[in-house]
Amino acid sequence: MATFTGVGSTPLSGVGTARWFRPSALELPDRPDPATVDSAAERDRFEDARDAARAAIREARDRAAAAVGEDEAAVFEAHEQFLDDPQLVGAIEESIDDGTPAEHAVADAYADAIAQFEGMEGRMAERADDLRDVRDRLLRELLDVDSVDLGSLPEGTVLLADRLTPSDTAGLDPDAVAGVATVTGGRTSHAAIIARSLAIPAVVGVGEALTDVSDGATVLVDGEAGEVVVDPDAERRASVSGVDAPVVTEHVETADGRKIEVAANVGRPAELDPATARGADGIGLYRTEFLFLDRDTPPDEDEQFEAITDALAAFPDERVVVRTLDVGGDKQVPYLDLPDEPNPFLGRRGVRLSLGDHADLFETQLRALLKAAATDAGDDLAVMVPMVARVEEVEDVLSRVEAVAATLDAEGVDYAIPDLGAMVETPAASYVAGALADRLDFLSIGTNDLTQYVMAADRENDGVADLHDPLHPAVLRAIDRTVTAAHERGAWVGMCGEMAGDPDLTELLVGLGLDELSMSAVTVPAVKARIRETDSETAAALAREVLACETRSAVASRLD
Amino acid sequence: MERTVAVVPEAGLHARPASKFVQTVNQYDATVTVGRADDGDDGMVDANSMLAVTGLNVEHGESVRIVAEGADASEALDALETVLTTPVEEG
Repeated sequence: MATFTGVGSTPLSGVGTARWFRPSALELPDRPDPATVDSAAERDRFEDARDAARAAIREARDRAAAAVGEDEAAVFEAHEQFLDDPQLVGAIEESIDDGTPAEHAVADAYADAIAQFEGMEGRMAERADDLRDVRDRLLRELLDVDSVDLGSLPEGTVLLADRLTPSDTAGLDPDAVAGVATVTGGRTSHAAIIARSLAIPAVVGVGEALTDVSDGATVLVDGEAGEVVVDPDAERRASVSGVDAPVVTEHVETADGRKIEVAANVGRPAELDPATARGADGIGLYRTEFLFLDRDTPPDEDEQFEAITDALAAFPDERVVVRTLDVGGDKQVPYLDLPDEPNPFLGRRGVRLSLGDHADLFETQLRALLKAAATDAGDDLAVMVPMVARVEEVEDVLSRVEAVAATLDAEGVDYAIPDLGAMVETPAASYVAGALADRLDFLSIGTNDLTQYVMAADRENDGVADLHDPLHPAVLRAIDRTVTAAHERGAWVGMCGEMAGDPDLTELLVGLGLDELSMSAVTVPAVKARIRETDSETAAALAREVLACETRSAVASRLD
Repeated sequence: MERTVAVVPEAGLHARPASKFVQTVNQYDATVTVGRADDGDDGMVDANSMLAVTGLNVEHGESVRIVAEGADASEALDALETVLTTPVEEG
């Protein structure tokens, strides 16, 4: 058992068979006498190679957008810009005109650019990887060398490489690749980000030592500890089971038979498949902001309807909770002309905008939701509004839902009214949770914002990071108050903050009485496993003890 | 025509914001150069070059000076200012 240390870039673990990725060397032929070079023909070769590379980059972009998401696909837009960069193209053309063959002209120009970036730190050095990626595409075209197909690796492969380009990584099949480890590279490189989005365990920047690992060895990649272990012993293999708990596709209950739903938080369509693959019982938080970002105009009713029905189709017979548009605060959308406020987290965001300046957007969203609720899978649709602080807001939302229903009715359009809920993110909402629950079907506690507002501690401010912790007694009591009040009024209560996905807190949350926990898909199996081990009476006793604690440290010692 | 703008996106003038910036420059006829506000005329580079723009290594919070010449210079400056003052949603 040999252990190598690097930087964990996807906090997951996997075991498999090592396989080195050795892309074919791109060896340049000797440089001919400039007088013998036909510059016009070389210019044509360069243009052809550039056209082929551009087509391949666009294809990679579209594949990454579908598999991973638009954010990570954006790196390929930068690749296209490097490919057509006037400085690079100018230098290459000039060199060709001086009697240099196209491949040497490309290699020289890119070598200069790469050297410029490599001398710098962090993000800049990572741009050198992007340039290499683009250069190699051009050289493969010019030298007629095939690329290695990483999309068809055998199942259970741990891929080892000197470095991986974003193109290499985006082509990986997450079902086949058990892990990735690289000699170079940092956590914020595009390759690392793409691996993370594909939920492939990854450790980068292991150093030259990694080259000691031979093809065929059994290798464990522990992306949490940042370790690569060769021939791991049984104990080590078992220790990675934390987030790698077996996927349980059916609903789970506690050891004494209390049902708890374990759902996924989903922020864009590309996350639907990973959520079903990890056995989520539906979606507990479907963020609709992705529909509005990176564009110049808001999505129309049809586009929203389609996004909602796609989510319903991904989870037939499971509940999908769609959150209405939650912009403002830290989430900006240029074309929405959001207010510029000195204190945006305490300003117009979420439902405050939906009932105010953005009433038209809210109406469009409600129309799409009510129409989706009338489709075949629509019975399982639920809708919740963010940032509720007053009962009046819920009453206003309900009357707008009725108004939209009346309009659709008059238009002769099929519609149904989905289950309606509110997010409990403000202390105000937790104080009036009973009244909210009276008017709604469910509440969902957003612990990230609730903690921020209860503790008056900015979630982005490291200076108050110790305050931004949901295990402070004040936050736990706000949660308890919410759950108790909602249950008294016959509404169910979920939780969709980070806290819900921490398996070490599952017993406490069961004890607090939550009916549903919604989290990043990656932690669904571990939380399901914990629920099955939990006895609800013992959990309730634990919750009572924790709620009696007066300090954070007392809570910590109860939970140990 | 020129303008000085503080860079809002968390990533600085790298990655996606840089990409958007260059894309935007290419949508206009105006000839655009960009540089760090403190670096003076010598630090200005061609804004239509991804290589040159990312090579500036401008971080979030730094100010850049954008100079545009041509018929649609003013529209180009407006569009570029929007790119640099729009925060980008991370992850």
